[in-house]
Formats: sequence, C-alpha cells, structure tokens
Amino acid sequence: MMQQRLRAAGLVLFWLAVAGALSAGKVALQTIPREFAEDLDGKPVDPIASSRGALTVLVFIRTDCPISNRYAPEIQRLSQEFRKQAKFWLIYPERAESPLRIREHGEEFHYTMPALRDVHHSLVTRAEATITPEAAVFERSGKLIYHGRIDNWYEELGRSRAKPTTHELEDAIRKTVAGETISAAHANAVGCYISDLK
Amino acid sequence: MRSTATEKMCAGIVAMAILVIVSEFPVVGEWRPRRFPDAARVTFSRDIAPIVFRSCAPCHHSGEAGPFPLVTYGDLKSHARQIADITSKRRMPPWLPSSDGLAMEEDSHLSEEQIAKFQKWVTDGTPEGDAAELPPAPKFASGWQLGQPDVILQASSAFTIPASGTDVYWNFIFREPTQSSRFVKAIEIRPGDKRLVHHANLLVDRAESARREEKTPGSGFAGMELQIESESFDPDGHFLFWKPGSAPVVEPPGLALRLDPGNDLVLNTHLQPSGKPESIQPTMGIYFTHEPATKFPVLLQLENDRALDIPAGEANFMVSDQFTLPVEVQLLAIYPHAHYLCQEMAAIARFPDGGEKILIHIPRWDLNWQAVFRLAQPERLPSGTTIVMRYRYDNSARNSSNPNTPPQRVKAGNRAVDEMAHLWLQVLPETPTAGERDPRMVLQEALARHHIENNPGDFAAHYNLAAMLLARGATQEAVEQYQAALELRAGDATAENALGGALLAVQRLGEAVAHLSIAAKARPDYFDAHYNLGIALATSENFSAAAQEFATAVKLRPNDANAEANLGSAFAAMGEIPKAMKHLNRALELDPENRLAKENLQTLRGAAGKP
Repeated sequence: MMQQRLRAAGLVLFWLAVAGALSAGKVALQTIPREFAEDLDGKPVDPIASSRGALTVLVFIRTDCPISNRYAPEIQRLSQEFRKQAKFWLIYPERAESPLRIREHGEEFHYTMPALRDVHHSLVTRAEATITPEAAVFERSGKLIYHGRIDNWYEELGRSRAKPTTHELEDAIRKTVAGETISAAHANAVGCYISDLK
Repeated sequence: MRSTATEKMCAGIVAMAILVIVSEFPVVGEWRPRRFPDAARVTFSRDIAPIVFRSCAPCHHSGEAGPFPLVTYGDLKSHARQIADITSKRRMPPWLPSSDGLAMEEDSHLSEEQIAKFQKWVTDGTPEGDAAELPPAPKFASGWQLGQPDVILQASSAFTIPASGTDVYWNFIFREPTQSSRFVKAIEIRPGDKRLVHHANLLVDRAESARREEKTPGSGFAGMELQIESESFDPDGHFLFWKPGSAPVVEPPGLALRLDPGNDLVLNTHLQPSGKPESIQPTMGIYFTHEPATKFPVLLQLENDRALDIPAGEANFMVSDQFTLPVEVQLLAIYPHAHYLCQEMAAIARFPDGGEKILIHIPRWDLNWQAVFRLAQPERLPSGTTIVMRYRYDNSARNSSNPNTPPQRVKAGNRAVDEMAHLWLQVLPETPTAGERDPRMVLQEALARHHIENNPGDFAAHYNLAAMLLARGATQEAVEQYQAALELRAGDATAENALGGALLAVQRLGEAVAHLSIAAKARPDYFDAHYNLGIALATSENFSAAAQEFATAVKLRPNDANAEANLGSAFAAMGEIPKAMKHLNRALELDPENRLAKENLQTLRGAAGKP
C-alpha cells in the first residue's frame, strides 16, 4: 500500500511527509524497524542482514559530488570483481534525492548494484560514514570491519594523484576473505561531507 | 537551557555556542552586548552570498565548469563544510599566484577574512539570515558572451573521454577559418561540457603543421604539448587561452591577431575523466575587426628544459633561467608552465638601477589550474632589465602529484610524465620609428642566441636565429645557423626549405636546388618547397624542371596566383606559348594585380604583335 503510493507520487515533499508519519509511528510497519534505509520503490531494506552470508559493502555516494562520481568506474569494478565474496550496495544519504534522480544517476554512471536511500541516516550511523565517497565493510555477523576511503587517489580536496598507491577497500575485502586481519579499520576519506546534508 | 547547551560544547567554541543560543532565545539580560544576536552570526544572506556571487558562482552555476551550483542558500548549505575546508586550504577558488607579485586581472583569491567567514558560518550552524540582506543574484549571460560572432567554427569530430584513468590531452584542428586576411579582436572558445575541460590553449598554425599529426583529416590527435611550426617571422604574439569561469579576452585598442587564408587554429585541451564516458566537440566564435593591428606584442619564452634532469626521490630540485632585455617593453601577461613535479615558481625582474620586483610568484603550482595571467596594468621593463625564472621541483614519493610510482628519473619532454620549465611573457616593445630596426626582431634574435647558449642542441633556436639574421640581411650567418639546425635534425623538411631559400637569396643556386629537393622529397605535399625549388631551377635556367615543380605547387594550391604566374613564365621561357598564356591568364583571374603575370603576358602579346 505504502510502496504503491510512493511510486506513484515520486515527489520529494510527499515522501518527506510520509517519512515524518513513519517516524511518528502512525503507519509504522510492525515487523521492520522504522529507521531502515529504503530501496528505490520505498521498501525498507536492511542491506547488512539481507546480504546473507556474504560480506556487505556499503558505498556512500551523492549524485552531485564530483569526487564520488569520478570513483564510479572503480566502485563498479570492485563490485564485479568481488561479486562472489561481497554484496555491494550504493547508499545515497541525501534525503532530498528522489528515487527517479537516483535511477538516472545509476544509469548515467553504469552502476549495476542496488541503490538505497538512507533517509534516516541509519546506515550512515552504522557505517560511521562522514564523506562521499566512502565505503564500509560488514561481516555477516553485522560487525563493521572497515570504513573509510576506497583508496588514496585523492590526497585532499582539489588534489588527486595520477593513480592511487594504496587500495584500502580492496585490501579489506581480500584480507577478510582470506581470514587475515586488516591493517587499519579506518582511513579518512576525501570528498563531500555527509554532515552538509543534515 | 543555556548551561546545558554549553556543557555539551567543547571548550574552544563555548563563546560561539552562547551566541547561537542567544540569537535563538533572545531573552534579554542586562549583561549581554546590545548588538546581539544578529551581528555576531555569519549568515548566508549578509556575509556568505556576496563572496559566493563574486568568487564561486561564475563557475558554479548551471552549464558552467563547477560540478554543482553555488547560488542559492540550499546549494551552499549542502556543501558548506566542503567549502569551508577547500577554501581554508586555498584550493578554491583556484588562483595560483600569491599577492607578492604584480596585480593580475581576474584575481579570484579570497582574503583571510573571507575564508574565516566560511569557517564561522559552519560553526554558527549555516544560518540563512535575513533575506532582505541578500544581494541580487548574479546574472550570467547565456549563449555567446560577446554577442553573435562573425564566424562560428566547430571541431570536425567529437572526442570521447573515457570514464576513468589519468587526464587526457587532445588537440582539435579548426581548418582555415578565413578565406582572406582578417584581424581578430576576440575569440570565444566553447570547449564543450565545461566540467570536463580543465583548460585549453588555442594556437595559430600558419604552416598546416598540426595537420600532419592527424591520422585522418579531421580526426584530431593526442598530445599534451603542441609544437606549431612557423616558417615566417610571426608578428602576432597573442595568448589564446580558455579556463573555467573566464570571460573571453577582447584585445585592447591597437592589438589584434592576424589570420590569413590557409591558417588553422589548433585547440589543445586538458580533459579530466568524470566517471562516465563523455564526448566533447568544441566550438569557437571569432570576432573580427576592421582596424588592423598597430601594436605587435611578442611572446618571450624563458626556459631551461636542458637543466631538467631530476633524480628519482629528489625533493628539492631547482631550475632557473635568466634573460636580459635588449629593448624596453611593456609586460602584458605571464604564462608559467610546468608539469606535475613542479612545486613553486617565481619570475623576478632585476632592473638596470639595481632594483628588483617579483613579477609572479606561485607558491604551490598545480598544473590543473594553470592559466595565462594578465596584468591589471602593463608593467614597464626598461632595456637592460634581467628577467629571472626560478622553478622548484619535487620528484619524491611525498609529492602526491608525482606521476611515477615509485619515482623515476625525470627529464624534459612533452608527455605528462616528463617535465617542463617554461615561462612565457607577453611583451609589447615600442613601435619602431622609420629606419630603425624592428625591436621585435632585436628581441627575438637576442632570445634565440640566449636559448642556444643554454642549449646548443636547441633546433628551434638555431632555426629562429637564422630567420632573424636572414631578415636583417646577415645571410651568410643565417646559412650557418640553418646548417647548425640541420645538423641537429638532418633532412627536416622545414629547415631544408629555409636553408635552400637562404642559399637562393645569395645566388648559391646549386646548393639551393640540392636542399630544396631534399625538402620537396621529404614532404611531397610541401607547397613552399616545390615553389622555391621551381624558383631555384628557373633561376638556374632549367625551365622544364622548374615547370614541373610549379605544376606540383599549383596542384597543391590551385588558387595561388604566384604559382600559376611562375608556371606560365616557365612555359614562356620554354617557348610553349599557349600553355604559358593559359597559366598567366589563370594567375590574373586569381589576382588581377599579379605583377609577374601582367608583365609576362604583355611581353608575350608584344612578341606576337598583339596590342
């Protein structure tokens, strides 16, 4: 019922009104916690619980962040290379971003992984994400084992290397799959601040 | 309420926290300063918008280079911390020169006070403030910035930038924008999607030399650095440069760029992958003027590429050059250029009276934001002023821009992994009085000698010096310099042709024919070589061989009146009168004033007893 209304309306204002109603508990679905991220049809999704056995990788991006956009081919490459070991999700923390715009953005940048709108920033909180682009790797138990930059391509805002020389996300996935401990559980990312969206 | 809130804040921002609370809960107590609450907070409407409208919005609005708009409160709020961060590091707005050099046009650097405002706006909670205080939003013209151009050109094919990878350098050729000699007042370059183009340099190619780089005509070609060949002394020293947010430059009174038939324009673009494949097909609008140029600036290049041999890991490598001006000039613009290892640049003027002035100082070079810096006011540099260029390079792993991992030994070159140490100055010498030697030539000759001193292996310097010597009649020395150039690049068609021309001028006909033949053979579609070879052969009274060369020249340029007139004259000398008449008449069709054709036709008609 709710999903249908959302899909039909597709309007940000309307959606925010529903979100407000949700958090007020008026139309809350009983079995699903109210602060879950939603897929592009408005259906609440817990990507970590639903990844069933595989590692979960959340990649936080924005449609208007030039740095996360420049990372699109690399994010897509990693999601393909590790498709057997890890389930990748694109997480859009911008509440005002419509599902329509997110679909367009995914097509523009040739993303093939599922996208979620983190309207309550519940995933932002769980992944301790502060920047787009930023990745978070969760074990099947739900434990956060790595969060931070994808690699060191950007040294700081406005300054990037020709090529990255360290690959933190890739290393975190590889080592976890191999049963090794990863060297650092966090590395600062460079990009657009998620807190600018609050 | 107040105390609870302040307790949560860390000590450093307690004062600010109080101010915020005060403004939201204006319960007035006597101890509070009276101006509060509004004056203490940085608001978008009053404090941020005026900075943003001037310094950010010109690039950050729809259709421009900025990746997101920065015009409305919502735009600013959703990037507030990012802006505070990037402005505090002085990465935005992109402006390389520090304020210890000469004042420049379009100086977009922010003051310390402006940078602090962005910081405080964030700590104040990014308030919008009173909308009544908002200045009017800037208006940006859509379409051509200078009105409808006289000629609009489009690159003949688009170029696709890959989704990822390192930056891409691509060159587009705009063929023959004009069919008659015209003076250009302004060129507006529209590189295509401006988010993808870091900057673009436009060069005038008077010798169709860039066309030789294309795989198929119109395809364009890759390359970071562009070397345009010029066989004649080119008096038009203009920078034609595009960078995001810049208005097209209209040349000041008296200055204009000459374009002749056969000239091409070559756009050298620096492109950055955006994350998805993108296609660009630049266009440009040309604005002509009826007023011919009366002032002729010169582009002076200081460089010391030969000194560039940077050991791997060397973090502090200096390269310098200095050149003493033989004539007085007005400095108009500066274009410093290096690649990814360069960290710092300075150009200093040492005056004959012992004084010194920093012309430009770039404390943190960033190739991505290179630009032509135009002086706010021309700077007088008296004769005898020494220009000193000092560049510093970091070839260690600590330099995150280092294109080599691990660092490699780096020398000068045209690729992104090579380095450069160039400083271009646009200067305007005094207009020469009658009988006086053109100061531009004095400058060019001195500069060519300086470059040879720096680097005896500099082909272009020997070639340029020869051209200057030839122009002032020092033919013997010119021949020696062309020969020196050819020792460095044996068989180079352009230099062989020029040497042949110089030998022809001193009537060393046999040698002239030999060198021109090499040039014509090296490049069969080289009009000048065939034409000059024709002249040399005709002067040697070998008319049938001359006719062959002129015929080839006519084939290469069917509308060249001189080639037709010479072909006709060669036939006349061989006694082939009908062929001679045909080509001489054709020459007059192309140019009714062609003297050679007129005179020879007259002679032929006289000989035939016709009036």
